[in-house]
Order: sequence, then C-alpha cells, then structure tokens
Amino acid sequence: MIPVTVVAGYLGSGKTTLINKFLKEAESPIAVLVNDFGELNIDAELIDNQESLTLSLTNGCVCCKLSDDIGVSLESLKGKDITAVIIEASGISLPINIANYGLSWPGFSLKGILALADGQSIGSLLEDKFVGYTVKGQIEQADAILLNRSSGLSLEVLKGLNENIFLEEEVSNYTDLLSAKYYANHFIGDSPKEHASFQSSIFTSNKPIKRDDIKKYLLLNPNIQRAKGWVCEENGIYSLLQMTPSGCNFSPSSFKSQTRIVFIYTGKLSPFEF
Amino acid sequence: MITVFPAKSIITMNASMPSAEAVAVRDGKIIETGTLESLQPWLSKHDHEIDEQFKNSFIVPGLIDPHLHPSMAAVLLPTYFITAMEWKMPWGTTPATRSPTEYDERLKEALSKPTHGELFITWGHHNLWHGPISRSRLNSIDSKTPIVVWNRSFHEVCMNDAALELLEIKQEDVENATQIDFEKGRFYEIGLGYAIQKLNPYILAPEVFKEGLLKLKEVVHFGGQTTIADMAVGLFDFEAELNTQAALYENEDTPFRVELIAHATVMQKGNSVEQAEELIAKLPERNSHRLNFGKRVKLFTDGAFFSQVAQLMEPGYIDGHHGEWLSTPEQFEDNARVFWNKGYAIHVHCTGDLGLELAVDTLEKMQDERPRFNHGFTIEHFGLSTPEQIFRLSKLGANISANAYYVHELSDIYSNDSVGFERASSMARVGTSFREGITTTLHSDFTMAPAQPLMSMWVAVNRVNEKGNVMCEEERITPQQGLEAITINAARVLGLDHEIGSIRAGKKADFTVLQENPLEIDPLKIKDIEIKATVFEGKVFNIKTQ
Ligand SMILES: [Zn+2]
Ligand SMILES: [Zn+2]
Repeated sequence: MIPVTVVAGYLGSGKTTLINKFLKEAESPIAVLVNDFGELNIDAELIDNQESLTLSLTNGCVCCKLSDDIGVSLESLKGKDITAVIIEASGISLPINIANYGLSWPGFSLKGILALADGQSIGSLLEDKFVGYTVKGQIEQADAILLNRSSGLSLEVLKGLNENIFLEEEVSNYTDLLSAKYYANHFIGDSPKEHASFQSSIFTSNKPIKRDDIKKYLLLNPNIQRAKGWVCEENGIYSLLQMTPSGCNFSPSSFKSQTRIVFIYTGKLSPFEF
Repeated sequence: MITVFPAKSIITMNASMPSAEAVAVRDGKIIETGTLESLQPWLSKHDHEIDEQFKNSFIVPGLIDPHLHPSMAAVLLPTYFITAMEWKMPWGTTPATRSPTEYDERLKEALSKPTHGELFITWGHHNLWHGPISRSRLNSIDSKTPIVVWNRSFHEVCMNDAALELLEIKQEDVENATQIDFEKGRFYEIGLGYAIQKLNPYILAPEVFKEGLLKLKEVVHFGGQTTIADMAVGLFDFEAELNTQAALYENEDTPFRVELIAHATVMQKGNSVEQAEELIAKLPERNSHRLNFGKRVKLFTDGAFFSQVAQLMEPGYIDGHHGEWLSTPEQFEDNARVFWNKGYAIHVHCTGDLGLELAVDTLEKMQDERPRFNHGFTIEHFGLSTPEQIFRLSKLGANISANAYYVHELSDIYSNDSVGFERASSMARVGTSFREGITTTLHSDFTMAPAQPLMSMWVAVNRVNEKGNVMCEEERITPQQGLEAITINAARVLGLDHEIGSIRAGKKADFTVLQENPLEIDPLKIKDIEIKATVFEGKVFNIKTQ
C-alpha cells in the first residue's frame, strides 16, 4: 500500500514551499496532488529530475462524489512506480476529511497529517469569525505542526491545541519530518539518546470500538509511552484519545473521523484485538 | 398571422393590468392582452384566428425555475425512485414510501419488471424512514440482479453480491478501507468516491447522460416551466454538459429555454480569476436560440444544506459539529471583486447563516469600493438567515432565490436532530424578504427538490412540512407573492424580465395553462393544480394527464 501524507494549513502558511522541499529531497519518485485554487506553484524543474509527478485537483460537484478528483488521481497512480503520495489540502479543508482518503481509498494507507502554521497570522486566524474553527481543526487534527516564523504568543496558543510542534529552524530534513519515527521522538521529549529505541504504529478500523477495550489494551502494554488519535465509538460517538504516562483521557470530538490511533512505544506490542 | 387565446382568466403579473380575458400572439411574441373587444384595433387590421382550446382554463406567465442542475438530473433521472416523499414525474408518480417493509416491497416490485438494464440503480433510500440497508437485506430481496441503492443525500451507496461481482469489487482490495464496509456492502464518503468510480461507466456513459437529459426535458415541461436556469454549468464536465444540452434542447420540439450560468471555479481551473473572467466573457458567443449565457456567474460559500455542512453562526449545530467552506473567505472575496468590477451579476450559493454572512459582508465591501445599482447579486438557497441579514441585503440591493422546499422536507428532522425548532422552523425566511422589499424568487435546485414551481410556491405559501405541521406562519407569503416569485421575480433574478415573466405587449409569448386559478384556490391545493399545457414563444405544447 502506498503511504499518503496530508499537508494542511491555511492560505499563506507555506504549503508551496514545503511541498517543493519534499520534491527536492525525495530519493524515490513521489506523487504530489496539489490544489488548483490556491497559490500553489510547483517548481516544474524539481519534478523532472525526480520522475515524480504532480496532479492538480479541482472541486467540481459540491453535493456528491460524482467527480471526486482526489479519488480519480489516486486511482490513476495505481501501477505507477510511486513510493509515496503527498496531498495538499486546500486552505479550507479539515485535514481529517482528506486523511480519510489515505484511510479509505483501496491500495493506500495514511502516513500522517502535517499542518503548517504561520506564526505571524495564526493568532488572528484562530479568532476569525469565518475560518477560526477550520484553522483550529487543522491544528488539532494534525500529527505534527510545522510553525514558520514563530512568535512567543502563538506558540503558547498552539501548544494548547497540539503539543507536537516543530519550529522551522529545528527541521533539517523535510522528508524525515514525514517519518513516524521523527515525530514519535519529538512527541516523547528531548533526550536524543533515547530516541533511537522508540517506535510507532498506527491502528485504524472501520468498525466501532469500545473505549474499555482500548483501556485494557493500554494496560496490557505498559511499554506504550504515548497514544493519540480519534476513536469512533459505538452509538456514533466520536472522541479524541490522548494517553501519556500520567494517564489516559477521552474527550468528545465533533470530527467525524474513523478510528485512527498512533501508538508510540519501546520494545514490542501485543497484536491489536479491538 | 395573429393567434388569440381567450381564457377564463389571464393572470398577467403585470401590475398595470393584472388580469385579462384574451391574449393575442404573433411570431412568438405578445401583441396585446385585454378582451376580445379591446383587441379589435389589432384584429380588424390583421389576419387572425381565435384559438379556443384554453377558454375554460387559466393562463399565467410561463413558469420559471431559476436554479436547477440539468447534469445532476441527467445522472439521477435514469435511476428508479423509491423515496420517502412523493415525487410526481411525467411517467408516473412515485408514492411516498415510509417504512422498511414498504421499501422492500417497492424494490421487489421494481425488480420484477423486465425493464431495467444490466445494473439496477435505485435512488431515495433514507435510514430514518427505510431502515438500515445492507448487502444481506438486498441479497434477500434479489440475489441475481445487480442492485445499487443510492442514498437520498447522495452520500452513500449499498450493493448486493451481484453488483459487487459485476463491478469487480473484491474483499481483498477494499478490506483496509475504513469508509467501505464490505460485509454490509456499504460505501460512504471517501468509500463512496471509490464506488462511484466503478459506477461511472454506467451512470456517466454518454447514452445514459443523454437519456437523463431527455427525461429532464419531459420533467421541465411537465412542471409547466418555459424557462430554467442551469445554475453552475461545469459540475462534471463543462464541454460535455454544454454540447449535450445544445444537441438535445436546441430544436423546435423543446418547449423551454435554458439560461446558463458558468461555475466560476471550474472555469478557473489552474488559472487566475482574471483569466476565468475572460473565458466567461466569451461564452455568449456560443449562445443559440434556446441556450443563453448572460453576464452572470456562480460562486459558492458554504457546504450543502441537505448534508448538514452549512456553516452556522452561534449557537451552531446541536451535536457541536461544524459546517464546511467551499472556498476561503479571501478567495471568495477576490473572485467576487473581479466579477463585480466587470459588471457581472453574481449568484452566490449560501446555505447557512454564516455562509450568508460571508456573502453579505463581501457585498458590503464591494458596494463600498465601487457602488453599483441593480447589480443582480443573488443569494442562492437561503437555508438559514437572520432578519438582520435580510435587512442588510435589502439595503445593499441584493436579490434572493430561495429553496423553500427545505421547509417541507427538513424542518421537522432539523428541529429534532440538527439546529432546534426556532431556526429549523424559520429556514427559507421568504416572508421577511418580501417585507423588506427584496426581489425574491423560488427554485428547486433539482434534483434537491421536485422541478415544479407550483410545488415551490405551495411550500412558500403554506409552509407545511412533511409531518403536516405549519412551520413559522409569519414567514408564509401570499399566493400573489408566491406567483410573482415563480414568474416575474424569477425573470428579474435572471435578468430576463424585459422579455419574460409577465404577460404584456412586447414580451415573449410564454404561458402556462392551469385548470384552476392559483390565486383563488384553497392555498393547500396549489401543488395539485392540473397543468394543461405550456406555450413556448407562441407554440402550444400539451401535457398528457396521467
Ligand atoms: Zn448550490
Ligand atoms: Zn444548486
């Protein structure tokens, strides 16, 4: 299955620059699905060098899936020599909606959601009467945030929404940013020595899951350091799971997402049996 | 040669002469309305015939549906309808089906007829009425015919074993996909996209698309319409949509015209808004007699009302979920500015009150930057709104094109499960918009609601929902306003009021012939008035009664 990464973020958050960096760094061919309505300009030269390809997305019909551009693009990649897909979410997309392609399009899997935020504008965007909620969702739903042009104030605000924040200056290799390991390490803490031993696994499911089963599983595997994700429970309840060494917490979520939990652990995990 | 049509009454929608007894027509245009006596100065000097076929009927201006989607209709109409609401179609009425057992019976009955093709697709399933659908339920009804059940909201399909086999959807290919429940045969959201890809060869095949557009032609005539607007050409494929409509509708036996409004973001595809505007500016070069592009464009703010993704202001949805934007406010404003400055009438799809707020704020900004009068900025759909927004819309000179059918189908469920009674009962606030003096029309957004202007008028006048309850009587409009909405106001909103929308000397001879007077009949019967015929540019097109 081809891994899919979603790059989310509001207008002006730097998605173009980041995607160009991915294309430049990629060692094997990747496909980039870009949104046609934004500001995105892909550097054509970078693509030629890499045998990578770019497909552009439009949104045709708003009421049905009769013209599903992302789906059509993913389907067209099957059988091509592509090792990874990056989807640029449009500025108004909630990343989970796009990530659902990674979770639900046959032949693909979701690697992660990376959201970009511009330190100068994120504070006011979060307060915006029209898009405040959307931008908040982009930050909350991401596995990692890349913050450009940090400013003290917004960093505090952002940490309250998502603790896994990278500052632009601490990233040396952008492709690494997508590897679960890189952000797994970041998740846990600062000691570079311990990093090597952490691993991460992602559990996804399309069936409702019992909260108690997850709790039991966490107790059974004390080597799990962190867990975070969305859980679709029975009776159509959606919740956000956050587990740290100090405890496990389920909070109600208004995002209708399928179950997807990222586990960060050392050693071995027992098989998922939810 | 002048043809004179006497009638029991001609309701002209021309305030200077609201009713008449006869109308004289020559070369597709109205010469004069009045009485047989008052028409004499014309008749005594020119050849004429008196056509008495409507002498026991009522003539109103040709009805107009100012917002529907021929391409969506073309996809939907070839499917078999089993729906919770009654749908009147030229080929028969689909009765309301309101329980799981009834649903299964209807499905069995349909499958027993030999008329369906290789793949049987039915549309209209709704969990609340028809119970959860699954592969095994469908298998038990018919395991040999490939069946696809398409949800009323278009957001889910369910298939039986035979359909999965025909479409070559295998368990091993889809088992990791979280929005595909293979065991139950259900495909939703992203999974639906996958299923639709497999279904596309069947539903978007050129022959099927043509069949659908030909069926729409019957539907439009049956609804008494002589003008419709395709309010977003390019939903699937701009060229195919335009060329197929031109091939099928530009001929003598089509009893209506189509006003075409381009979907701005589709025209933009990869280019700047300015480039999109240049392309749209050239579209009138492709106009023909019945198909016309004017200086108008379609933009979008928030998500679909039926799917509960309209953007709402506080206090939002009961369950705390939020709606969706279809473009960022910045992009919306940039697009609006380009078209505003070039003098376009901008039609904005907005469904929730926050989506509407964006449209109103933007219009206010445009008026500040570069004031315009009679600019035709139109709010399309008008699901939820506040009285204060309507006041602002009135001051800013906007028009409103409302989908009043929301009140009928959704106000009860949305009271309980979506936004609560106060806001659900006041969706499509057309009473306030008439009181504020806004040019207000009604549309079907077909396939979202039946393409029957008399049905739209009936809902707006009565506000009776599917449970039979009157929802917000203060927002009801009078029959007179209702008829204005689907005739002269619709023409104004499409910028065609100099040619159609009322019956007066000089306008096109477009009429709808009714068996009852819609202004005098019990308002609860408006939707059931028999439509006898339409007249398009002077030519009579009879409607077969079922
Ligand atoms: Zn719309
Ligand atoms: Zn529409």
